Amino acid sequence: MKKLVRLAVLVGLAIWAWRRYVGPPGPRERASVSYADGSSVVLEPGSAAFERLASVARTALCP
Amino acid sequence: MDAAQALVELTELSSQVEAAVVLGADGSVLASTHEDPSKAAALASSALDLVAAASTLYTQPLELTRVEVELEDGAVFVLRDGGRTIAATTGPDPTSGLVVYDLRTCLHGITEPEPEKKRRTVRKAKGGDE
Repeated sequence: MKKLVRLAVLVGLAIWAWRRYVGPPGPRERASVSYADGSSVVLEPGSAAFERLASVARTALCP
Repeated sequence: MDAAQALVELTELSSQVEAAVVLGADGSVLASTHEDPSKAAALASSALDLVAAASTLYTQPLELTRVEVELEDGAVFVLRDGGRTIAATTGPDPTSGLVVYDLRTCLHGITEPEPEKKRRTVRKAKGGDE
């Protein structure tokens, strides 16, 4: 039982360290659009469609 | 409840939503968390622009139900249901599932104001002979 707990703690620490030091830097930016038929599309930064939505969203976020 | 009440409940329920606006089927602002009407109009305009931009992603016309854009400075959510649209802004890194759930609950909570019922005047039938 002790071994199992130790293993779980080690796995947790490894995941935390991976996310902290190796994971992608900075905040995650993305856009997603869902439709009535259940389909959806996720847009990643760099695509023209994402930039179009992001430029509109930035105006909404301006104070 | 009406749209304004629904937004009050939304802001009480969700600590992540910073501003929100409810639009009618014609795009008019039904209610807003902004006290300044110009800010409400700006958010509404951005929401409609987002919907318009997202509608061009597919060549075939599909009914859009949700648009969410997460950026460094915050996120913008737009949900459409039953002719109404709700748009909201949050801070950075929102729990998007939770925000969407709260917005959908808010949208479903809005009911049409009941039309005033016509009052029927009941006249007492005069009995007896006249």
